[in-house]
Amino acid sequence: MNLDFTREEQEFQQSIRDWMQTNVPDDIKRCSAVGEMTGKELQQKWERLLGGQGWLALTWPEQYGGPGWTATQRYIFDLERAMAGAPPTSPFGVAMVGPVLYTFGSQEQKDRWLPGIVSGGTLWCQGYSEPNAGSDLASLKTRAERKEDHYLVNGQKIWTTQAHWADMMFCLVRTDSTVKQQKGISFLLIDMKTPGIEVRPIYSIDGHHHLNEVYFTDVRVPLENLVGQEGMGWTIAKFLLTHERTTIAGVADSHHEISRLKKAVAEAPGFLDKSQARQRIAELEIELMALEYTNFRTVAATDEGKPFGPESSGLKIKGTELQQKVSQAMVELGGMMSLTWDNPETVGSDVFNRATRRYNFLRACTIYGGSNEIQKNVLAKMLLGL
Amino acid sequence: MEFNLPENTTLIADTARRYLKDNYSFEIYRQHIEQQNHVDASRWLAMQELGWFGLPFAESSGGFGGTLLDVAMVVRELGAALCLDPYVDMVVAPGKLLEYIGSDASLAMLSDVIDGRAKLACALYDYHAGYQVLTPSMKLNGKRLSGQKNFVPDGGFADTLLTTALADGELVVLAVPVAACETTRHRALDGGRIANMLFDEVEITDGMILARGKKAEQALSMLLAYLQALDCARMYGAAGALYQRTLEYAKTRKQFGVAIGSFQIIQHYLVDMFIDLQQLESMLLMVAVKAESEDASRRERASTAAKAYYADKAVRIAQQAIQIHGGVGVTEELDIGHYFRLVTHCSLTHGDRAHHINRFAGLDEVHPGE
Repeated sequence: MNLDFTREEQEFQQSIRDWMQTNVPDDIKRCSAVGEMTGKELQQKWERLLGGQGWLALTWPEQYGGPGWTATQRYIFDLERAMAGAPPTSPFGVAMVGPVLYTFGSQEQKDRWLPGIVSGGTLWCQGYSEPNAGSDLASLKTRAERKEDHYLVNGQKIWTTQAHWADMMFCLVRTDSTVKQQKGISFLLIDMKTPGIEVRPIYSIDGHHHLNEVYFTDVRVPLENLVGQEGMGWTIAKFLLTHERTTIAGVADSHHEISRLKKAVAEAPGFLDKSQARQRIAELEIELMALEYTNFRTVAATDEGKPFGPESSGLKIKGTELQQKVSQAMVELGGMMSLTWDNPETVGSDVFNRATRRYNFLRACTIYGGSNEIQKNVLAKMLLGL
Repeated sequence: MEFNLPENTTLIADTARRYLKDNYSFEIYRQHIEQQNHVDASRWLAMQELGWFGLPFAESSGGFGGTLLDVAMVVRELGAALCLDPYVDMVVAPGKLLEYIGSDASLAMLSDVIDGRAKLACALYDYHAGYQVLTPSMKLNGKRLSGQKNFVPDGGFADTLLTTALADGELVVLAVPVAACETTRHRALDGGRIANMLFDEVEITDGMILARGKKAEQALSMLLAYLQALDCARMYGAAGALYQRTLEYAKTRKQFGVAIGSFQIIQHYLVDMFIDLQQLESMLLMVAVKAESEDASRRERASTAAKAYYADKAVRIAQQAIQIHGGVGVTEELDIGHYFRLVTHCSLTHGDRAHHINRFAGLDEVHPGE
């Protein structure tokens, strides 16, 4: 039993912290200090910077461009990244389609797509949900008909985050409607510039445009863009769920948000009840500690080569609940200062003035990636065997 | 980091579990809560023979050099078995206080604890000072000790108290015969025995003063962190037992022709309990490693966070266990409600949730991961 980072890990932590201090661009730091979203340009600038360092595809095997770090090092990196005010990297390329490609893809597919993900050059989006296939994903209807030298894709995806930024989409499509639902699904890579694709924005309650509807009308996708075999789509989608979950709890970003909140409380005008605020923050910090040590157990198990234990199953649920609680505390402690939406000048505190943006945005975190209720159904099946 | 229990610790925990399975039961517990004196002599001797009396203390103090983690695993099993034998209150707590004081006189008393000859209890709290252990309301004026101690977990048979008072504003730790106090004993929430002790001009000799000033404060603050960690261990044992029993019940109890565990709301309640239990386990490992640190800020950060967290989540598990059991969950006949009382009890000893939240809010900032 040892609950401290080793000397080498501490040195690693310090070196990452130093690097972040010098290299996180000032415009990103400014955004994060007040709680604004980084747009496409800044996000891509940041990801390309990391890509240049070889620090983007952190979980990948070295042969495909991973840095060869342990799970503990990746955890430390994420912590220092967040504490420096830098945003998390977009998951669709590095955390999702990348591992699918190096696990199930052909040599040609790996050669063609992996380098763009490792460097941060290609942006991906995920075509999973449909208007009538949300939590019940296997009922999806977007069709891909096999023709002579291409698939003809027709249908609609929804809630597609960053589809308006993306160069490529990895997409679940139905290639066979005569077999059991799960068996008829395939995994296709679709170039977003292909004729017949229409991306329509969905504005969310934080006032931003993250989400989209994507319509496919007779979209021709080359046959070589099928990953694995026809009918393997569901297996691949499930594989992604078992891929590394050591940062799913969002511990690093919760640390950063709590530290922003503390700073805001310390600097807030006199009407805020600071002793009450500090107690509320203490409650959040203690919950974060419990989450963090549970996360550490998953990280340590990963480094020992053990499979994920049941302790990791709750990380998504607890992690997202805590993110919501922290953002709610920020709004409520801000009180009247949180009433502003697009004020050009600071009223009391920038942090509190923009607090509802993140609070509103994070209402989605218990829904995306498999709603927390679905996660509980899955866990219950495991526990109860009913 | 590495979270695997050392082999020896696993062995200690397994032995404790087996011993309690063979020698303790809910029936024995139920007889016990009705009794004045809590200790069955043969079980007390057996615990000593298992090595538990020497376990918490360094070899240089005559103990077996166990870690807090080792002791926590024994206490976890005691909690899981609903065992009321006052091992923590009458061996670990007074023994650690004596060890942390570390004088010749206190170490001599400690050897009596390890040998099983001493009948000691710690009398640290009174209802005026509350959880502020370093500023008790009892006063030592010259050679006279006056005041009171409440909630003293004396097992119903302690003959000597390790207690605290202020002498001209300075904290002192004393060893006082129970016979010198006016004592009223009663049953505590968890079914154990606690007492009110009235000290009316009790004459104190120099030999009865074990420590004073900074030394006394340091020993007490180290003791408290240790005991807070053990509160968590006991609650973990109880919460784990509650979860297991409730899961089993949900699988077997039928209503509307099906197991109640087939209902989604019950499933989600159980998943919530499971996830909280996982996090409680993480916090137990954390506090059991850190709460005996020499570094005061590391120790306090760990013990105060763990205790605040347990007072919230372990209590919630206990409440939900009753809810899922339905009517039978609130009866004396079933162990569920007794575990519930045990968890509530431990959530209130050595600082309740509000106390610890407040204390945590006053601690210094640390960088994440440090």
